[in-house]
Amino acid sequence: MKNKLIIFTLFWLLGSFSTFAQNQISGLITDSTGEPLIGASILIKGTNSGTITDYDGKYELTLESDQKILQVSYTGYEEQEITVGNRTVVNITLAESISLIDEVVVVGYGTQKRSKISGAVSTVTSDEITEAPVLRAEQALQGRIAGVQVSQNSGSPGSALTVRVRGVGTINNSDPLYIVDGIPVEGIDFLNPNDIESINVLKDAASSAIYGARGANGVVLITTKGGKTNQAGKVSYDAYYGVQSPWKKMNLLNAREYAILSNEANINSGNIPLQEFANPDQLGEGTDWQSAIFQDAPIYSHQLSFSGGSERSSYTASGNYFVQDGIIGGRKAGFERYTVRLNSRNQLKDWLTIGNTLGFTYLTRNAVPENNEFATPLVRALNMDPVTPVRKPDGTFAYSYYSDTDITNPINAIQQINDKWTTHRIVGSVYGEAEITQKIKFRSVYSVDATFATRDIFRPSFDLSINPLLSDAPAGEKNFINGVSKENNTWRNWQWENVVTYNDVYADRHNVGLTLGTTVLNNRFDYAGGSNTNLPSNDPKDAYISNTIDPIASQGAYAGATESALLSFFGKVNYDLDDKYLFSATFRADGSSRFGRNNRYGYFPSFSLGWVINREDFWSMDNVSLFKLRASWGQNGNDKIGDYSFSTIVNAGQNYTFGDGEIITNGNVPLVSANPDLKWETSTQTDIGLDVEMYDGKINFVADYYIKTTSDMLYAAPIPFVAGTQAPVRNIGEVENKGLELSLSYRNRDNAFKYSVSANVAFVSTDVLSLGEGGDPITTGNVFSAGAAARTEVGHPIASFYGYVTDGLFQNRQEIERHAFQNENTAPGDIRFKDLNEDGIINNFDRDYIGNPTPDFTYGINADFEYKGFDVSLFLQGVQGNDIFNGIVRYDFSYTNRPQSVLNRWTGEGTSNFEPRVTVNDPNFNARVSDRFVEDGSYIRLKNVQIGYSLPKSLISKLKIDKFRLYLSAQNLLTITDYSGLDPEIGATQGALDLGIDRGFYPQSRTFLGGVNITF
Amino acid sequence: MKNLKYLSFVLVFLFACQKDLLEKSPIIGVTEDNFYKTEADAISAVNGAYAALQFELTPAGHFRWFWGDIMSDDTEKGGSGANDAPNLAALENFQGPTNTDFLEAEWAANYEGIYRANVVLERVPPIEMDETKKAQILGEARTIRAWFNFLQVTYFGDVPLVDQVLAPSEYTIGKNPAAEVWAFIEQDLIQAIGDLPKRSEYPIADLGRITKGAAQGLLVKTYLFQSKWAEAKAIAEDLINSGEYNLVGNYNQIFTESGENNAESVFEIQYMNASGGNWGRNNANEGSFSNVFQRARGQFEGYGFNLPTQNFVDEFFKEGVEDPRLKATVFREGDLMGDRGFFTKESTGFPHDYYPKKYFNNKSEEAPFGDPNPNGGTNDRVIRYADILLMHAEAAFHTGDETGAKTSLNQVRRRVNMREITDSGNALLEAIYHERRVELGLEGHRFFDLVRTGRAAAALGSLGYREEVHKVLPIPDSQIQASNGTLTQNSGY
Repeated sequence: MKNKLIIFTLFWLLGSFSTFAQNQISGLITDSTGEPLIGASILIKGTNSGTITDYDGKYELTLESDQKILQVSYTGYEEQEITVGNRTVVNITLAESISLIDEVVVVGYGTQKRSKISGAVSTVTSDEITEAPVLRAEQALQGRIAGVQVSQNSGSPGSALTVRVRGVGTINNSDPLYIVDGIPVEGIDFLNPNDIESINVLKDAASSAIYGARGANGVVLITTKGGKTNQAGKVSYDAYYGVQSPWKKMNLLNAREYAILSNEANINSGNIPLQEFANPDQLGEGTDWQSAIFQDAPIYSHQLSFSGGSERSSYTASGNYFVQDGIIGGRKAGFERYTVRLNSRNQLKDWLTIGNTLGFTYLTRNAVPENNEFATPLVRALNMDPVTPVRKPDGTFAYSYYSDTDITNPINAIQQINDKWTTHRIVGSVYGEAEITQKIKFRSVYSVDATFATRDIFRPSFDLSINPLLSDAPAGEKNFINGVSKENNTWRNWQWENVVTYNDVYADRHNVGLTLGTTVLNNRFDYAGGSNTNLPSNDPKDAYISNTIDPIASQGAYAGATESALLSFFGKVNYDLDDKYLFSATFRADGSSRFGRNNRYGYFPSFSLGWVINREDFWSMDNVSLFKLRASWGQNGNDKIGDYSFSTIVNAGQNYTFGDGEIITNGNVPLVSANPDLKWETSTQTDIGLDVEMYDGKINFVADYYIKTTSDMLYAAPIPFVAGTQAPVRNIGEVENKGLELSLSYRNRDNAFKYSVSANVAFVSTDVLSLGEGGDPITTGNVFSAGAAARTEVGHPIASFYGYVTDGLFQNRQEIERHAFQNENTAPGDIRFKDLNEDGIINNFDRDYIGNPTPDFTYGINADFEYKGFDVSLFLQGVQGNDIFNGIVRYDFSYTNRPQSVLNRWTGEGTSNFEPRVTVNDPNFNARVSDRFVEDGSYIRLKNVQIGYSLPKSLISKLKIDKFRLYLSAQNLLTITDYSGLDPEIGATQGALDLGIDRGFYPQSRTFLGGVNITF
Repeated sequence: MKNLKYLSFVLVFLFACQKDLLEKSPIIGVTEDNFYKTEADAISAVNGAYAALQFELTPAGHFRWFWGDIMSDDTEKGGSGANDAPNLAALENFQGPTNTDFLEAEWAANYEGIYRANVVLERVPPIEMDETKKAQILGEARTIRAWFNFLQVTYFGDVPLVDQVLAPSEYTIGKNPAAEVWAFIEQDLIQAIGDLPKRSEYPIADLGRITKGAAQGLLVKTYLFQSKWAEAKAIAEDLINSGEYNLVGNYNQIFTESGENNAESVFEIQYMNASGGNWGRNNANEGSFSNVFQRARGQFEGYGFNLPTQNFVDEFFKEGVEDPRLKATVFREGDLMGDRGFFTKESTGFPHDYYPKKYFNNKSEEAPFGDPNPNGGTNDRVIRYADILLMHAEAAFHTGDETGAKTSLNQVRRRVNMREITDSGNALLEAIYHERRVELGLEGHRFFDLVRTGRAAAALGSLGYREEVHKVLPIPDSQIQASNGTLTQNSGY
């Protein structure tokens, strides 16, 4: 017995020994369908050590004897903890995770589990960002997030986008605040979308108030990709090549029709028709100027990324080369971008981690003039008469005998354009994180955003004259003195931020988080430039100011700088009880050099509450995994008010002549009075929201309703002349935005056929509540051929269209005589405008609101399907209920081309009640701003369709390849709209109060492209 | 816990640097805080006030001849036709709209001038500089302020009196009675007269600056407009006895380039032909639009405004002979318009018989650069010595000094070889009135002379003038609105 006992003890000891000793284990990790998962992470619980699976999904790991639990994780799959026991082979099947409850979301100064968020925060992931190849990260936001409206300012490569979070919040700058890896940046055109891990948009005040004086128009938090610890090195190569082409042309008159109408217009105006148009049929089709300026243009990208991580460090490095030419102008409108990124993170000590983010961007953008009615190739092509050929018989460019001033040969104009922007930009940070105690952490970050941009313009000399000696070409078709100019702009911003966080749990149920921090931020902008004329060479390669033969004294030169600084203190408290009752409060104090002496610091509080009802005992619906009610209130500021608006410059140049020789003598006076009270614009926002998740994440529903009031809005309201100065900018206006945002998604990944469908919609209304004392309306939106088209007035949406109201056409003389007086030369066939004030005369007082450029709602629909190796995705995006003012046609010129609709013109009683008669001089001013030019701007657009195929892993794993995917994609394949112009998607191109006015908008292209993603 | 020490160090450092950090003032341009420190600053501050004297047209500016001549029986609006500045025609016919941009511009320019003078009067006194020079600068500013107040009160009657730089909370001030404005003007001018150097005491480089004589001349006018005859007479005599001024020999020379700032120039607003015109508050420019506006159309490249009436031309024949001043005042058909050719109706393209001559400039006098049309450089002769003499005559007449009246009147007439006036009583007064009309014709005096002497209804009644309404212009509607109703419209409008 005793021996047995000893032996047993020995065995037991041996056994114990074996558990204390090292233990070699191995296994295979697969998904639910049995496919091996490559690169899944296996971590030994309680340590930093672990491994990842190889190309066959296999792993090997050596455990210390006291190590028994493995944590297995893989992106997109539910994390599992496995107790090893005595096994040496541990195979694990991971279930795909579709629930977002535990998703970690980046919020202001921290992260938070989605289930615990009590504000309105929306996320776009890297998959969504790269799904449709995009040039700029903002494009990835379009249609993805309810309440974030993105519109293209132009279809030209590299042009900016308008991003509005919860509508237009002010008559001034409504751009959101962009924070990239904690660094506030102006615009995000420098970012390579492939480098982005996630974009989080803080929509309500409670989420954004921690950004205080800068958060009023929403905050866009962008996190770039970093490596993960314990991750084998990964190499990815992504590339695509595509062809862009125009998808729509306007129906314009051909030469024959043009001549017929020209003859008719001349006769109607009492002139003799032009001799050369005596036989219109001879002229035939003539020139199609749209075909002449539009072209197919390439777009392509190459991206190489490396990432990986060991126990204590991780890194990612990437390089990208992107090229896009324009469908108008080709290379002359081309965009080229190189980006390099290096992010790393290293745990130096148990208590100290350091890291960096670094992005370098070099980009060039060739710009052709766009989006104005004067000098753009597009507006010229749309207005140039079809009789004029592109080229003369000798091959040189032709000019029109009919068009005037602005409307010159667009092909030649493109040839003469040399306008190149070159930008070098470095955005980077270095940070240290110290764990002072387990509960208290300290983080300090120093970051820099430095941009060096130059613009080079060369205007060559040219002459389209048939006989140069006679110089017969009109003024716009010749330029005898060439000129060159250069601008140098440098932005250097640095920021230093220090944050302390404290997290604790009391009595197992009170979760407390505390954040305190300071920020100091300094911006400096330096500009300089010069110009000169008369270069002996007409070759753009020789276009340097110093090459001029003119005296140095004739060189134009300027230089200057502006500065601003921000000093802030902020804090945040998060508290929840049993993950059930959520409470959060933030406070920020912002001191800004932009604010006047009397208001140097602004204070911004916020509160939010959440109630996770499904965690209550009385909740009985088991299939609801989250049912959370949220409510928040907070205040924010908008500090985009100009650097020195509070101060007053004593303006020089108030000259007078003195002395015998009439010497011009300088005088000085402050033209604008100072406003030491000047401060930020304040927005106060209340948000009520609901988050629902059902069937373990299959169904997700989010709803938000908000009221946002922007007060203290900056406006230089007209002041009485007794002041003797120009109106100072004051904090006097008020705008209210109200809106409802809904998003719903359904995902099913249970079977081999996996799919998801999601949709979001946002309703927003914007009303001006006050424009200060007197409250005179603000007139904007000048359309050259017609006049001011927009007005911003108390009680109306921002920048509403304002003009005359048409009432059919005058069919005969009696109708003209019976109607209010319009013009002494008004004739039958002219437009009858409504006499709104019934005073018997049609004048400025007969105008009314005739359209609203802001949509009633915007929406996006997304669908993804996956079967075996195939994947298909569809993405639709649209806006509904907005109007567009169509200002494309230069009605102020009598000889410009016209849309074909003019063929239905009035030619006699009863022939038309809409399209007026044609004349040369438009005595009735039919072209004035009226509802005639206001069109429904609603559209729905198939933004992207993509079909991809991934080679089976069984095939590629032998080649040590993790992923090999090929895809074909089509962008803007289909657009459904009633709008007659070239593109209904029109951003704010000329300031905040100039919305939805089409002055010849550079349209977006339809793009077909093919690409490849390889990871190994 | 060592780390906590570092942390507190960091925070302390942040607090320490905060003060300077947020103090950013504009890098380009001078702010108010850094200006008004030196004598040079003081001089350019008052120069800035002078610049307001040049403002013409809209949105802030004026032609004195719009109101003084066109509103009177001396001239008609002209232009390209009825549709060219129709509001001006309506005002001329006393059916004026109350919202014209010309009225707004007048109001705006005057208050901008007052503001600029107020800035000088508030910011210059603390500057450490030569006290005599400082007194001179303040005197110039006071006279400029008085001039704009004079325009306001004569044009609009009761108006807001702005005696300091206004704070935004003070923008909605109401009207002060005209009497208060007049008193304020007198006070400014009396003080300025004490501080300003005489014309002869200024160095040549300061030609064009406001002199003691200019302030005196304006004060004479100020008294005259209030019928304060004795005071007007006294100040006029001060000026006359100063010996600083005398009539130039040749009347025809007064309104030529070489006649600028001549011996009889008491107060003259300076313009030159360089750098374009002063449309609105175009502060860097020094040119005048009066030349181009008053030149005939057609080959004379003008806009054809301010057309002399037959009634006005007839005035020059009142004494049985043609007053020689007519030739210097009006172009008649067949006259040579300087170097621009002979005046025929064909060459102007319009059927008008007469064009004004006093603002005519030769093509050769225009600068070869800048906007070719507005390169007019003719100074605005606001107060001439002849005006002083005629004002003296009128004031003397009303104080019973007919001898003094006749002496001054005949001094003016003698220059152009018109007969001596020996009349007395009402005939003498009529002779003085007649003399003002022909001597000062088309210089922007007529309408206000008619109003202040109570003759407007008789002269202009047929055009629609009613004494109870039209002796002042309407206050621009926009300003009544902007004041939230604190300002009220002049009665009858």
